[in-house]
Amino acid sequence: MDSALALQLLIQGILLGGVYGLIALGLSLIFGVMGVINFAHGQIMVMGMYASYWIFVLLGIDPYVSLVAVAAIIFVLGYAIQYLVVNRILDYPEAMQVLPLVSTGLILENIALLLWGPDHRSPQTALGLDSIWMGPVMVDTSRVIAFSLAILITGLIFLFLKKTTMGKRIRAASDNRTGAVLVGINVDRINNFSFGLGAATTAAAGCLLVPIMPISPYIAHDFTTAAFIVVILGGMGNLPGAMAGGLVLGVAESLSTLVLPATLKQVVSFTLLIIIILFRPQGLFGGKK
Amino acid sequence: MDYKTMKQNSIDRRTFLKLSGAAGIGIAASTFGVPSFLHAAPETIKIGSIQPVTGPLAIIGQGTRLGNQLAVEYINANGGIKSMGGAKIELLLGDSESKPEVGRQEADRLIKEGASILLGPFQSDVAMAIATLAEQRQVPFVMDVAALDDITKKGYEHVFRIFITSGGLVAGALKYYKTLIEISGVTPATAVVANVGDAFGKGMSDGFLKMLESSGLPIKIVERIQYPLGIQDLSAEVAKIKAAKPDILFPVSRPGDSVILLRELYKQKVSLMGIFGPGSPGWYEPDFVKDMDKLAYHTLVNVPWINPSSPSYQRGNAAFQKAVGKNLDTNSAYAYTGPLVIADALERAGSTKREAILKALRETNFKDHPVVGGPVKFDEKGDNTGAMTALIQVQPDPDLQKRVKIVLPKEFAQSDKIVFPAPQLWER
Amino acid sequence: MNRTYILLGLILAVLLVLPLMLSKYMLGIFIMMYYYAYLGQSWNVLTGYTGHISLGHALYVGIGAYTSVFLAQRYGLSPWIGMFAGGVLASLIGLFLGFLGFRFGLRGVYFVILTIAFAEITRLIVSHIDALGSFTGIFLDFNPSFKNFQFKGNIPYYYISLGFMVMSLIVVRILETSKAGRFMVAIREDEEAAKALGVNTFKYNMFAIAVSAFMTSLGGCFYANYIFYLHPNTMFGMSLNIELILRPIVGGLGTLFGPVVGSFILTPLSEVSRAYFAKGGMEGLHLVIYGIITILVVLFMPKGIIVYLKKWLKPILSKE
Repeated sequence: MDSALALQLLIQGILLGGVYGLIALGLSLIFGVMGVINFAHGQIMVMGMYASYWIFVLLGIDPYVSLVAVAAIIFVLGYAIQYLVVNRILDYPEAMQVLPLVSTGLILENIALLLWGPDHRSPQTALGLDSIWMGPVMVDTSRVIAFSLAILITGLIFLFLKKTTMGKRIRAASDNRTGAVLVGINVDRINNFSFGLGAATTAAAGCLLVPIMPISPYIAHDFTTAAFIVVILGGMGNLPGAMAGGLVLGVAESLSTLVLPATLKQVVSFTLLIIIILFRPQGLFGGKK
Repeated sequence: MDYKTMKQNSIDRRTFLKLSGAAGIGIAASTFGVPSFLHAAPETIKIGSIQPVTGPLAIIGQGTRLGNQLAVEYINANGGIKSMGGAKIELLLGDSESKPEVGRQEADRLIKEGASILLGPFQSDVAMAIATLAEQRQVPFVMDVAALDDITKKGYEHVFRIFITSGGLVAGALKYYKTLIEISGVTPATAVVANVGDAFGKGMSDGFLKMLESSGLPIKIVERIQYPLGIQDLSAEVAKIKAAKPDILFPVSRPGDSVILLRELYKQKVSLMGIFGPGSPGWYEPDFVKDMDKLAYHTLVNVPWINPSSPSYQRGNAAFQKAVGKNLDTNSAYAYTGPLVIADALERAGSTKREAILKALRETNFKDHPVVGGPVKFDEKGDNTGAMTALIQVQPDPDLQKRVKIVLPKEFAQSDKIVFPAPQLWER
Repeated sequence: MNRTYILLGLILAVLLVLPLMLSKYMLGIFIMMYYYAYLGQSWNVLTGYTGHISLGHALYVGIGAYTSVFLAQRYGLSPWIGMFAGGVLASLIGLFLGFLGFRFGLRGVYFVILTIAFAEITRLIVSHIDALGSFTGIFLDFNPSFKNFQFKGNIPYYYISLGFMVMSLIVVRILETSKAGRFMVAIREDEEAAKALGVNTFKYNMFAIAVSAFMTSLGGCFYANYIFYLHPNTMFGMSLNIELILRPIVGGLGTLFGPVVGSFILTPLSEVSRAYFAKGGMEGLHLVIYGIITILVVLFMPKGIIVYLKKWLKPILSKE
């Protein structure tokens, strides 16, 4: 085996895995607090990517800079989705929870199509084509930045959940819903805020991807799937697990290139997924079930 | 768009009233009855256009639909179908959503709404579904774009194709590749094939590889990369390409993944003599040429292509520019050709009867079209014997619009030089 | 009760003579209505009655379609027989999936993910098998004859799909009134309690998935010979998984007529809105509307439209 190639793939896997982790963090947060799977996750991220794209094209502000503004915009979107749709279905049987979120994704995807058309948009950002060479191994500058920022944002979110009152309430609701209600926490507001935060997180991840990947309304599904797999790997609702799961998926996908065509990569991910839910449903990094 | 069609319809109605008035005079003047062309003239002739206007191929489908529409506008503005008393063509619109079953259902709806001919649909799978329906319902179906050989292999009586077949596309690729080696005097020894994993990508690259193998050219395929449609990251695949150290890359991609592929080739400094697309969208579209700038230079692609010097192209392009500010590209130009071929057949058929239309289509010999190739003629399978490809190369030019140039065949060429081997991506 | 049967009989009679007055295109819409009602009903057997959510039922549609077409193309076997071969294969795969899911006690979200993963893996594998057409898919030859399950006009397809739908209603009705059906509902309401009462929940879960998979796969065979084209992405893909569950949920999950009501509302709605907006250059708007309507139904009629329909029909049906 070509060791330089393997090393190259490993590094690329880790770098992308960090962003996967950030996308999945939002999904895991939403699941942890409300117990629903956000089937519109990828679509929400794509909305963030479009926001970032337009800010760059119209105002010339780099996606890395506009990230906070974009997260704020998508926070509002997430808050609205929770307020309008998800809050009303929390007590439904699980089968009924699936459809409204799938439909939300369908709506977002087609709004993007109506507004911005089906074109693949790929802006030339300042660092879009920069790379750093370390011997035979190339490191993509925009990926390094994406990875570092993903880790940083994850850290900030943990800090937020640990230190602020809102954060503590979210964790309380996540640990024990009924208990949170009993001690007088306004769970509806927590829910709205959590969904907003989850959406904002994934939108931030989207911004990091803008310099790396072209945007179109139809790219969302693959990211929803990737986020699913990561969340299962890391354990549903387990936030540090999401980041770790992201790295595992990133590396597994990247290294599988050595032996499999890319069209079969997802077979590896899904097989991994089945094994995990059968034998370690608490995730790779969770404690006892 | 709605407004425009409404306006046209009202004009149509007025013209029709005038015509019927004239017919009234005719009856008064002649006891033998009205001249036949007034008698037979329908108000409009309906053509059903099915394109993938939503779904993953919407970007192309919206262009092909517009191509259909603009050609119909042109025909109507020039007096409609003269042999049928200047009957106007009305285009009924359908959306396949890029799905075969939806395409079939939409085609059925358009037939119900009175379409005497179907037109479309860009994708081979949708084309197949509609072709079977056309045969079931006995309605002529003219494919403007759809390449897969199998569609016409079934021997359907009602199916005609203006576009080149995948077999023709592959043959063109090999022909130009050989010419390229002769002209440049450089023979690449190793190659990587990178194709998107869909019907087009796999069929195209399999066919090309098979032909390459039997051609006896001294070239070794050192790696074959296959990636899913809509992939967002090719960094791992490009690392693998780099490790294989090929002289030349044969991509079969779609718009979108070509951008990812090219950027990664640049970042990872993969050295190549050049990139040769045996039939690959994604390397010459205006947005790509603009966004990729120098990186887009020198890529060679074998494609069914527009013929910019033809009057038909200039007319169509002007209309297209006016409508959306973009140039007519291959797909929309073939879509523009569709109604022209149909109108030509209707003119000779003089009626919307199925047998007459089929007969006229079979006898088609249509030269005034906007694409590279001979006159449109249909063989017994319904394939266009005049269809051919061109080899194009993106070359430096201060005018973005003029960067994509036909380099082969000579009679259509816009540039007499072919850059091969090309300078490395990072040395431009 | 008698009145209910009279009403159903009347509706069926109307549906039976409908082809006399409808165009081929309208027949096409009805065929899709019956087809999706049938698939929804098949899905309903598992998810509606036992509460185990499958979001991977396209798997069985694909198995049914590919098996019957493969047998027809390779061995000239009539799809009327091949479809049962597909059904058996689908049942076996369903049983394997069920074995994993129920033995390991996967509930809720975890079971959903298991079903998605199975469908996706199958899609990817079929995409790489050349004998099954790989990415290109399979184009069926058009040789109309009863044996080949292929017909020139829409009328035979109309009656076949109507027959499928009616059969599925009968099967589910029998199931509902049987012991197995009652145990399945008990599992849905509370699996642990059912177990405690001595119900062999594993057995009835396996029974439900086998029946559901079998029925679903027959639909796949019908679809293949109606559309004449198979592609892994359309036969096993996520969009079919979603299409499949929309109608029973909107109509009324776990009810006999829910999938039918859902399909009779949603299928024409999607057709009409597409046809309408396709003209106006508002590409994608029909899907936005489709999405909004399904959300509204779930939010404000969570038990499905069937409940309101029943309420509305009550005065007619219960009059002595």
